[in-house]
Amino acid sequence: MTSATAPALSAQPDLQPIHPAPRSVWRRYVFSEDHKVIARQFLWAGLIFLLLGGLLAMLIRWQWAYPGEKVPALLGGFLLRGSGGVIGPATYQTLFTSHGLIMIFFAITPVLIGAFGNFLIPLQIGARDMAFPKLNMLSFWTFALSQLLVLASFLARLGGGGAGWTTYPPLSTNVGTPGTGQTLIVAAIFVTGVATIMGSINYVTTVIRLRAPGMTYLRLPLAVWGLWLTAILNVLFVPVLGSAALLLLLDRSFGTQFFIAGAAAVRGGGDPILFQHLFWIFGHPEVYILILPAWGIVGDLLSFFARKPAYWYRGTVWAMVTVTVLSAVVYGHHMYVTGMNPLLGKGFMLLTLIISIPAMVLFLNWLLTLWQGSIRLTVPMLFALGMVFVFGLGGLTGLFLGDISLDLYLHDTMFVVGHFHFTMAAASFLGSFAALYFWFPKMFGKQLDQRLGQIHFWTSVVGITLVFAGQLLAGYAGQQRRLYDPFQYAFLAHLRGLNRWTSYFAFALFAGQMVFVYNWFRTVLGKGRAPGDNPWGVGTLEWTEAATPPAHHNFDVIPTVLRGPHEFGDPAVARAFGRDWIGQAERLPPDGGAAAPAKG
Amino acid sequence: MAATSIFQGSGGAEARGARVVALPAMRPPFTAYLGMVVFLASWTMMFAGLLFGYGLVRSRAPVWPPLDQPPLPLLLPGLNTAVAAGSSAALLVALRSFRGGRARTGARALALAAALGAAFLALQARVWAALWADGLHLDTGPYASAFYALTGFHALHVLVGVASLAWLAARAARRAYGPDHHLPVRLWSMYWHFVGAVWLVIYLAVYVA
Repeated sequence: MTSATAPALSAQPDLQPIHPAPRSVWRRYVFSEDHKVIARQFLWAGLIFLLLGGLLAMLIRWQWAYPGEKVPALLGGFLLRGSGGVIGPATYQTLFTSHGLIMIFFAITPVLIGAFGNFLIPLQIGARDMAFPKLNMLSFWTFALSQLLVLASFLARLGGGGAGWTTYPPLSTNVGTPGTGQTLIVAAIFVTGVATIMGSINYVTTVIRLRAPGMTYLRLPLAVWGLWLTAILNVLFVPVLGSAALLLLLDRSFGTQFFIAGAAAVRGGGDPILFQHLFWIFGHPEVYILILPAWGIVGDLLSFFARKPAYWYRGTVWAMVTVTVLSAVVYGHHMYVTGMNPLLGKGFMLLTLIISIPAMVLFLNWLLTLWQGSIRLTVPMLFALGMVFVFGLGGLTGLFLGDISLDLYLHDTMFVVGHFHFTMAAASFLGSFAALYFWFPKMFGKQLDQRLGQIHFWTSVVGITLVFAGQLLAGYAGQQRRLYDPFQYAFLAHLRGLNRWTSYFAFALFAGQMVFVYNWFRTVLGKGRAPGDNPWGVGTLEWTEAATPPAHHNFDVIPTVLRGPHEFGDPAVARAFGRDWIGQAERLPPDGGAAAPAKG
Repeated sequence: MAATSIFQGSGGAEARGARVVALPAMRPPFTAYLGMVVFLASWTMMFAGLLFGYGLVRSRAPVWPPLDQPPLPLLLPGLNTAVAAGSSAALLVALRSFRGGRARTGARALALAAALGAAFLALQARVWAALWADGLHLDTGPYASAFYALTGFHALHVLVGVASLAWLAARAARRAYGPDHHLPVRLWSMYWHFVGAVWLVIYLAVYVA
């Protein structure tokens, strides 16, 4: 492979060197420096943990449907054999803690950012690889280590982590969760943070430095914009989580007193609220970290499958940039009930509600992209539309929570759970799968079965809507989140039916995911239908300038980019090529342009 | 190239008369430099988080330092600030020497920078030992926690820096760096100046203020 491409590479000596193609199996598939291989590694690692996180969610839902009853089938008998198949209170704590942490840090992050960030950034900007391929490899293996720490936490003495995904002290200190499992899972957060920072340094630098000639910032696909802004947020705010995790580990393992207060502290003690500050300084950017790539991907897909340029591309870009900036200054809205200065609270409320303005620009641009488009309801498009729908619901419920007076009532209820599941769980989940169905042919050189994909979509979007709407309702009725048995309280007893139905929908949602699992293994392990180089007929570089799947060096010749990513329906292109799309680096024949009328 | 476009979408540039902007030829050293800048920005936030924690804990305490706990010394850490500054200065000289082709001076200056870094750690160890003997332990409250966590985490960074500078000095002694090849020295310099600057902030915020 190296010898075949040597002439092409030497023709451009100053443009982008590439590391030599790996020769051993070890370097090709395990410690690979190729961004496309690393992307697939992240994809596998993330999807496996997505399944694990989903399984934990099913156990939580079982507990809320049938508190204290035996978990049926294989699950109860095997996993819970110590307690006779019943979910005990400590196990329940571990379930919701691990579910949250796994889904956020070890499933959605690796799939959306790890896999698609790695795969898309170099291919869509016209680069041969990331700026720092070795760092990229190190990032994945550090991440794999953090996943091992999570798995180890399940097996630890005195049970796994049990302080919730937010790991608030004093519950997360030795006073609340003395087990090794909590220490391991906090260590896993720290290690995965290091992996994320490594990856993000790569993404930020790569987009700045390795764009192909002509690939200006305003010709980048929206997916790259989303991933790049996410990387910037990751670089700046994951280390703050790192500092919080570090202090928590010191408190747990070395006897320091940053967060321990009150009777448990020997001399004065620290301040549990300090942890909340550090956590949410990171935590609020984090919700945009998880959604920005999905916004970008969906922004592209809506244009691709409406066969229409993205409406007001610049507006979408600036809206995303504005949200990114604002996301850094609103974290206090998670802490309205910590007794903060009311004036400070109002400031945070104002900033929080201001975010809905750029978010609305974004949303209207999506809708206006669809307006009068020639919509093709392919599976990726279905997932993209589903993402728009659930994100709309999630965004609207965010207004309730951003408002102090309503938040005082809704704080820590299932309403919050429903809200953030609609936004950062469901929307980024559907965005991930939109991306997966769309770029799967480019990643694997095969095509997932589209009919199974449609079944997967409909069960997912209907299931998601019903499950999280059920949570919103329960929360609005006053059900606190994280209750082991909500119905032991008289004022919640009447919500048993609602919770039970929500659980049934959740089980159906999970069953629908099995369709994807089947589709995935059947296609990845089987032969699969080989798609063409550009099955969707779009103009971005990875479809128009690279092979399927791309060669080790991505592009034989680094393309010179001439236009933006969403050029559809140009009459001059239709005259010259007889199609409604044109590649970003594709030249129109001179006569094709000359024959065109002055005004389209 | 006069392709007309009826869109207001992202392809406007071509419609307004194709302007192809060629990037300058890729310069790997600048890419590495930029990556280092991004990394240091990230690590600035890490230390900012720790210092925020320090500030919050301190602002909540009625008396600082607590009456029954030893106050922090000023002299030895002050001397250490000078040592850190000297080490950074030596590294500046080293980089300038490599650029100017004075490899021998560069190697010596690198060795001096590493030695001063080691001296910094030794002095810091003395400060810790003295305070420990005075009864300031990790588990004696948030005052001790904040002090040991900040200085300890910083000292880890110094340790990494000293090891790397020593390695660079050993390579420089074998004439590995010259006017057109000194990228590792440049990158580690950035790291080292950053660690020095963090020390200055810690000295002012924790020892002096």
